[in-house]
Amino acid sequence: MLYTYTMLIVEGLRKRFGTRVALDGFDLTVHPGDVVGLVGHNGAGKTTFARVVAGLVALDAGRVTVAGIDVGHRPREARAALGWAPQELALYPTTTVRENLLLFAGLNGMSRRDGLRRARELGAALELTDVLDRRVRELSGGQQRRVQAATAMMHRPAVLLLDEPTVGADPITRRALLATVRAIADEGTAVVYTTHYLPELDVLDASLAVVRDGRVIARGRRAELLASVPGRAVLRYDGTPPPIAPSLHERASVQIDGREITIVAPDPAACVARVLAQSREVTRLSSVELAPPTLDDLYRALLEPAEALHGR
Amino acid sequence: MVADSAAYRRIATLMAHEGLLLRRAPGPLIGYTIMPLLLMVVLQPTLERLSRVSASDAGGTGQAAAGMAVMFSLFALKLVGADVLQERTWHTWDRLRASPARLGDVLIGKAVPLLGVLVAHQFVIFGFAVAVFGLRPAGSWWAVVPVVVVWSSCVLVLGAAAATLVRSPAQLSAAGDIAAILTSTLGGALVPIAFLPSWLRALAPISPGYWAMRCYRGVLDDPAGVPMMASLAGLASFLVLGLIVTALLGRTRRA
Repeated sequence: MLYTYTMLIVEGLRKRFGTRVALDGFDLTVHPGDVVGLVGHNGAGKTTFARVVAGLVALDAGRVTVAGIDVGHRPREARAALGWAPQELALYPTTTVRENLLLFAGLNGMSRRDGLRRARELGAALELTDVLDRRVRELSGGQQRRVQAATAMMHRPAVLLLDEPTVGADPITRRALLATVRAIADEGTAVVYTTHYLPELDVLDASLAVVRDGRVIARGRRAELLASVPGRAVLRYDGTPPPIAPSLHERASVQIDGREITIVAPDPAACVARVLAQSREVTRLSSVELAPPTLDDLYRALLEPAEALHGR
Repeated sequence: MVADSAAYRRIATLMAHEGLLLRRAPGPLIGYTIMPLLLMVVLQPTLERLSRVSASDAGGTGQAAAGMAVMFSLFALKLVGADVLQERTWHTWDRLRASPARLGDVLIGKAVPLLGVLVAHQFVIFGFAVAVFGLRPAGSWWAVVPVVVVWSSCVLVLGAAAATLVRSPAQLSAAGDIAAILTSTLGGALVPIAFLPSWLRALAPISPGYWAMRCYRGVLDDPAGVPMMASLAGLASFLVLGLIVTALLGRTRRA
């Protein structure tokens, strides 16, 4: 199926639970084939957002459109275009994997024959073929996670919401799941993938949406967002480090601690080059450690600005 | 038409799945089916003698069969409660709600197999009474059918209401046992109503079990002597009340 319009539009979501503000102007758009990694602290609003899109939480304000269908006005049609795997395991433990998959296929209007075929496909993709006829309660935690994700993918939804699908998963589970999510995105599905494991987003080639206090505070491709995050360089000397030119202090945060100079700057490599160019004591330099910004740094810079500079 | 066929498919899927869930955990249902049969074997001779000694229609095979059917269908109420409760503990209720199925589709898909089980459960008890004790209704067997259906629906709704009130299977088990004993005793299912203390007899009509017993005894023993439609209406009023309470409790819980 090929979609040609924005698959998920989320505008100005607001939701309070008593005095607690869960969503406070949450905006997000996701296009067909895109994978958006939703990251943020626990309690930032990620799960509430997913439950709103799934139609389980009534909004105080805002609007959600799934595949062009307004969730508020035509909830059932919108839910038909949505696949949702919640954070907690939500499967029938006394029935088999195949029976669980067929239930969700049937609920989404698939015939039994199509459901059986799709169950075989997803079983193969998620390395579940050998356990399709085993009861869910007999499976390992990782296998149950994959089954849960498969239930959300059965009907090839236009929008797929996966809420921390790899929590507690082993590397095999993770690899199989990520490959399958990428494949379903390549077929045109818009994927919103909530996680705390940032390297997974690299594997998925996902863009990022960083959530804090119920809203998206940063959104973009990894490279764009990382460009705004300072990297770090550490120069170690055999003796006392050379003095640092004042001009460098203006463009970077520089700390001298004993025989070590730590530079935090958007482009730490250029700063190191300047230090070396200004100093004639290269021979006393014992090592240079360059640490370009990572997704973890971005996450911390956005969510913990106070400690982001020197706390690493 | 397309929308209708999709809804039918969803309901059929849910019914098939509910049937699977019931088949995969048959223990409690088997227990609630065998126990009344055993108890009937013990109680029927006593109730038969009681009927002759007291020269009344208070005892007899009809009382034994109807009493066990009412009492153990009230115990089976826990099956319904457990079914609803496990959807919550398994977190699958939210998955169903997040599917394109209407709430009504989900409720029908889950309720019909459960109702079928409750109806079958009572017919097994009456079938046993027919086969072993030669139970014959005073009127037509067909008159039993509406009573079985209305009473089973009542049990179904009460079970759903119970599930919205309790927080765990242990709570459901304890509350269900107490409620079943209380309702069936007060309704005259364990001891004929004529032999209850007068103050309990005065309270009996507040128990849905009382109206179920009146209906069954009316059909089995004295179709002319008991105003059947009035008894059935009394029973049906508990069904309506149960539906309203369950809907209100469910709405409060969702909020």
